[in-house]
Amino acid sequence: MRRTLRDELAESTPHGGLYLRRLIRAQLSLSLVALVAFGGIVGALPLALLLLPGLEDVAVLGIPLPIVIIAWPPFLLFIAIAAIYARRAAALEESFRDLVEPPR
Amino acid sequence: MIALGAILAVTGATIGLGLYGVRLARTTSDLFVASRAITPWWNAAAISGEYLSAASFLGIAGLQMKLGSVALWLPLGFTAGYLALLLFVAAPLRRFGAYTISDFAEARLGSPRLRVLAAWVVLGIAGFYLVPQLKGAGLTLGEVTGAPYWVGVVAVGAVVALNVAAGGMRGITYVQAFQYWTKTFAIALPACLLLIHLGGLPERAAMFGRELPRAPASGLVVELAEPQRVTFPAATDYAVNGTPARASEGEERTLPSGEIALPGRAVVPVADGIDAQRGEDWARPVDDSGPTSLVFVYSLLLATFLGTMGLPHILVRFYTNPDGPAARRTTVRVLGLLAMFYAFPVVYGALGRVLVPELYLTGATDSVVLRLPEAAWPGLGGELLGALVAAGAFAAFMSTASGLMVSVAGTISFDLWRRGAAPVDVRRRRFRLSALAGMLAPVVLALVARGLDISVLVGWAFALAASTFCPLLLLGIWWERLTARGAAAGLMAGAVAATGAIFAGLAIDDTHPTIDALLTQPAVISVPLSFAVMVLVSLRTGVGRPAADAELLALHAPEGLGLDEPVAGQRAPA
Repeated sequence: MRRTLRDELAESTPHGGLYLRRLIRAQLSLSLVALVAFGGIVGALPLALLLLPGLEDVAVLGIPLPIVIIAWPPFLLFIAIAAIYARRAAALEESFRDLVEPPR
Repeated sequence: MIALGAILAVTGATIGLGLYGVRLARTTSDLFVASRAITPWWNAAAISGEYLSAASFLGIAGLQMKLGSVALWLPLGFTAGYLALLLFVAAPLRRFGAYTISDFAEARLGSPRLRVLAAWVVLGIAGFYLVPQLKGAGLTLGEVTGAPYWVGVVAVGAVVALNVAAGGMRGITYVQAFQYWTKTFAIALPACLLLIHLGGLPERAAMFGRELPRAPASGLVVELAEPQRVTFPAATDYAVNGTPARASEGEERTLPSGEIALPGRAVVPVADGIDAQRGEDWARPVDDSGPTSLVFVYSLLLATFLGTMGLPHILVRFYTNPDGPAARRTTVRVLGLLAMFYAFPVVYGALGRVLVPELYLTGATDSVVLRLPEAAWPGLGGELLGALVAAGAFAAFMSTASGLMVSVAGTISFDLWRRGAAPVDVRRRRFRLSALAGMLAPVVLALVARGLDISVLVGWAFALAASTFCPLLLLGIWWERLTARGAAAGLMAGAVAATGAIFAGLAIDDTHPTIDALLTQPAVISVPLSFAVMVLVSLRTGVGRPAADAELLALHAPEGLGLDEPVAGQRAPA
């Protein structure tokens, strides 16, 4: 009798381990992409604000732009990255599930 | 008196709901099975409720008033921490079935000794985090009733310890969710009303322009309880207990206790440890050097981004999610709820500069959130809003301190007390004794640490968590070659580097500004160090180890395949 992928995973065979590690790598790459998107924007903020002192002279509703930039918009960015990531991660799991139990 | 009533009401509601909730859960069904039915929104509100502490409620605005807009990086980092948790930890850890880091350490790496080491680190982080909660309590009770500082510290310490020992606040989701909405309402309503009342931002010159903080046109009278060393940023007339005096620009003096009076529009002298800043300097979120330097900002962001996942009371809450994807959905909602709360502290920090400049003189900037409503509306309206804010602040200390105490008591009674099987009633007695004993050290430290800013104290807890548990979790989940020895070496290296820097920073004063910044916020060095030690020691000690397939499977295999039997999680959290 041919062993299913689920058996191989449950018994930790080399073949099962290969599939498992492929899933882990895919999940990790997705997380790292999201991290780079987040880190690229938020990580650049302190340096950008330091290098662009002209922003201080711009006011939005009477508040200097640097304060406006760090006080509110990044939170919306976090939520957006988080929501997109959560959907993609679930989709990766879904395709792994299909691999182990092919849909009939 | 209204405020005291509001505080007592919130405290009573918390204790009552907690005890009632435990009884309800015991009589209906098992607490944790019952919790599984909770929707992601309830869970998210509960997580946010436990997370928003004195540092968020009082500390951000206080530090913002004192140091300037550099404090605005704090809420950003506090929230981003949940993004890191979402990307790397939430779903795998939920699947693994570990809900304390000690559980995770032992189950993933198979080392009971690592569990004990992790338990000590839990106590260190929880201690750093409990002290500012108690400081906030002492401050708030003092503001509201005029009681001495130690009264609030001891009272809240005792209430929380007894409550946890009695079995209340056992991770009851609905209580924590109630705390979240209390806090958000308490900080949002006065902030919105203030902006409407003032018709926008008053006196922009003092906030963002070339002005130093000044007394209002009608003059300023401040009661000093004890003598205060101050610097006069400008030549100023003033009076001490009715005796006129004059200080020249830049002069340092020790003001005696009693009534200090400043004439209208006088530049306010600043307490020792505060720099008088013009609005435009105060408004700048990052600077070339000094306490707002780039190094400090990045180190702070790193500590908060990576430290959140290592706070002892945070991961436990994720256990009430039914599975990995639900843990992710919950975390996305947490980000939304935190964003909603963190939109408001900035209003208090900025308006405080204009409306309660006397806090620069007394040095008590941490109480700006509590003071602002009554400063804006003398009379009943201000008193009512002040009571609301004080109640919100108490909700913040109670929820965070209780969550931490549950972790501390569980850690002492289960991980550090004599191991091995014990009857339920023995374990329960140990848990209670641990809760009472575990509160002693934080109370003593809080009495000593009165002069330190709440946000600075909390920053240390984050730095320690980021330098120890963050590498353990990230490498443990994503890198199969991590060994118990590597993890232990990394934990110790990170803990020693972070606490060593913090205590050195307390002992040493006025070295190079960059070194000062690193000693205050060491994460940018201690986190990479801990990662490096874990990886290098693991590579040296891990030769010839069998692969960790079973653990990887439990962490990463999707649900519903019959593969996701949890490895850890044999014990219910205390």
